[in-house]
Amino acid sequence: MRRAIGAGWTPAVLAVGLVLGVALPAGGESPRRGGAYQFSLGPSDPPSLDPAHVTDTTSHAVVSELFDGLVEFDPQMRVRPAIAERWEIAADGRTYRFFLRKGVRFQNGREVSAEDFRYSFLRVLDPKTKSERTWILDRLEGATDFLGGKTADVQGIRVRDRYTLELRLGERFPPFLALLAYPAAMVVPREAVEQAGADFSTRPVGTGPFRLTEWRRDDRLVLTANPDYFRGRPHLDRIVFRIIPEDLTRLQEFKAGTLHHSDVPAGLYQSIVADPALRGRLHSQSILGIQAVRLNVEVPPFAGNRKLRQAFNHAVDKEAFARVIMEGRVKPAAGILPPGMPGYSGGLAGYPFDRARAGQLLAEAGFPEGKGLPPLALHYNTSLTNRRLAEFVQAQLAEVGVKVELAALDWPAYLKLVDAGQTQMHRMGWIADYPDPENFLTVLFHSRNIGARGNTSRYRNPEVDALLDRADRTMGEAERVRLYQQAERRIVEDAPWIFLNYYSTDLLVHPAVRNLLEQLSPMDSSPTVSLVQMRLVWLAE
Amino acid sequence: MGLLPFAVRRALQLIPVLLGLTLIVFALQAVALGDPVRAAMGQRGDPEAIARIRADYGLDAPLWVQYGRYLGRLLRGDLGRSFRQQVPVADLIVERLPATVRLAVAAMGLAALLGVAAGVASAVTHGRMLDAAIMTVALLGISTPVFWLGMILILLFAVTLGWFPISGYGDGDWRHLVLPALALGALHVGYIARMTRGSLLEVLREDYLRTARAKGLREGVVLLKHGLRNASLPILTLMGIGIGDLLVGAPLTETVFAWPGLGRLLVTAVANRDLPVVLGATLLFALIYVAANFLVDCCYVLADPRIRLAGERR
Repeated sequence: MRRAIGAGWTPAVLAVGLVLGVALPAGGESPRRGGAYQFSLGPSDPPSLDPAHVTDTTSHAVVSELFDGLVEFDPQMRVRPAIAERWEIAADGRTYRFFLRKGVRFQNGREVSAEDFRYSFLRVLDPKTKSERTWILDRLEGATDFLGGKTADVQGIRVRDRYTLELRLGERFPPFLALLAYPAAMVVPREAVEQAGADFSTRPVGTGPFRLTEWRRDDRLVLTANPDYFRGRPHLDRIVFRIIPEDLTRLQEFKAGTLHHSDVPAGLYQSIVADPALRGRLHSQSILGIQAVRLNVEVPPFAGNRKLRQAFNHAVDKEAFARVIMEGRVKPAAGILPPGMPGYSGGLAGYPFDRARAGQLLAEAGFPEGKGLPPLALHYNTSLTNRRLAEFVQAQLAEVGVKVELAALDWPAYLKLVDAGQTQMHRMGWIADYPDPENFLTVLFHSRNIGARGNTSRYRNPEVDALLDRADRTMGEAERVRLYQQAERRIVEDAPWIFLNYYSTDLLVHPAVRNLLEQLSPMDSSPTVSLVQMRLVWLAE
Repeated sequence: MGLLPFAVRRALQLIPVLLGLTLIVFALQAVALGDPVRAAMGQRGDPEAIARIRADYGLDAPLWVQYGRYLGRLLRGDLGRSFRQQVPVADLIVERLPATVRLAVAAMGLAALLGVAAGVASAVTHGRMLDAAIMTVALLGISTPVFWLGMILILLFAVTLGWFPISGYGDGDWRHLVLPALALGALHVGYIARMTRGSLLEVLREDYLRTARAKGLREGVVLLKHGLRNASLPILTLMGIGIGDLLVGAPLTETVFAWPGLGRLLVTAVANRDLPVVLGATLLFALIYVAANFLVDCCYVLADPRIRLAGERR
């Protein structure tokens, strides 16, 4: 077996750009204990504080302060130890052995053992739990049979002794370690779960640095420091998660100093940049996400017509889109993997805005100046920004003679249509579930994931499938990157999407806050900052 | 017909109304909200997991079967569990009732106080500058969007002057109540002021007021004891129906001020496609409306026997 701690993608990850920075805390300050940190989680309460049911960043933000897993992400998105003190990965890349810290206690006082992890993992995979995140653990050997009710146990989860847990995968999957950093893989105490039943979601008992002491729905959740936390008591006494639905109200609360950080409302970015009082408190950074108009490559006119898809890509001015429609908050996209994601090189040319080239490709595709093309439908899910996006694309394609009709739908109805492949073109964003190219390229472009699993442009290319399959199982980082980049180039050439922009996020931070920005990772979006460990944050006043 | 038979008859009439309402709301939500399970799974949904969870919630059954099951549970007093939060809908509603009642009562109290005062002042200065000014302000109160008014109140009284908190429920502290109650009550201030003025002007023309003045009673006594009391029936009616409006939650006010009330519960549930909560909250709102109207009708019957006689003649 070999040690794998810190195996990582550091250089690429560190390339994440800070667009605007705020002053970092003065060096030499020693952390101050005490205070209540307040911020708004956004428009509504976390749906669930049960790790088995966390699917959103709001719940993730709270749950990660209440529970721990075997591992967690550091700000560079490397996997680091949490309850597991260390781990070993067997040479076959399928067997992971985790050595747990001794003396880690649940908030009910009982010590955590390897058996607790086994129970927690089986619970997520048990169909009776109705977990929406079984995919986090379903690569474990025997998990699929267990999920299907064919077996009563998962052979890939073995307790070696009180403090040693062994996990074995059905086949090699290097991102597996990153999956274990997610809430679904956090440890819960069987006795508390069984006692609370469905109410475990509102009466959570974890090992985390904070415990839930108050939850008034639609108003606030209060977390209080856990003095017995295994990594030491947090600096803050309390975290108060406010629920403020209106973004302008959140901004006013931040201005008044009652929130320690806040997001930037849509449409107000430029005015905040222009405001001397707020400019210095603004922090913007890239996050691992991409937005595109996805072309359904199974239906006319895009099926079998790569030149037409390339023409559409050249016809849309992504620079103007990022500057005007997205208020300069995002970067135009040239490919699929966003900056900061392992495998991103910045070396892809993509499809620069070139109307002449678009016209030429349209003619070669059999539609000179758009003639012969029927009006095309562009679907988007209802929101002001999405409408502006759709209108922009419509106007740009009109310039090369292509007529586009817009259709807006509410999210569930939209997903139904998109999953079923009943759109010609549709808008869709994608934010990383975990920092691995597999999460973008395989999930979004492998033919086995067509439809609801992620590949909604219904792209199918056997060569790309083969490349992705190889990359997904390769253990060597450099070789994996090479294979993914090769696959990405092929996909971009095939142009199943109109690549629009990589995402970024903006955060307003109160000057008294320390050690928040240092912990932000490119998977953190505002205002939830769900991956930041609040136990390390402190207030200078 | 006495009050009791009248009340019973009206109460029985409400049953088909509420039943029809459940049917309409159920059908609308089922069509408009799409598949809540698929939406909850995000962009990466495992089709088998989606199917399993839908089956567990009974969402794979035909709509009429789902509706039948819903009515069955309703008759047992079970409003179901929230899809999103996994807690009983009844608990979610009960949790928010105190905040909603607090806000509605405060808003109506403010509206009554300010509205009646403004209406009386307007009536006694009928045709003069003050009358015109008050009626203009009342009209503004009626026509100002509550969202905009809320933001202005926040900017002025919370951010600039710092007199009140910006948003939230606080610890039940009255300071948190003032701005949302003002924003929510503004509309009703306008309505009550206009109604008070109109009603009082009508009464002021009556002979018995001239008699009262001729007897040498002070103007204040004439106005308040004889005038306002006799003009109060339509004002009370307006307030009775208005309190129903306010209890239903004023979703915009609750959203702007992050007030944890019933209106916001419904708005959030619709946004999250949380069907059991949407159905439960809508049903409760309908009940409140219907109950408010019912009480107003009963008050009418108590206050004015002519209404009861008119009913008998029909």
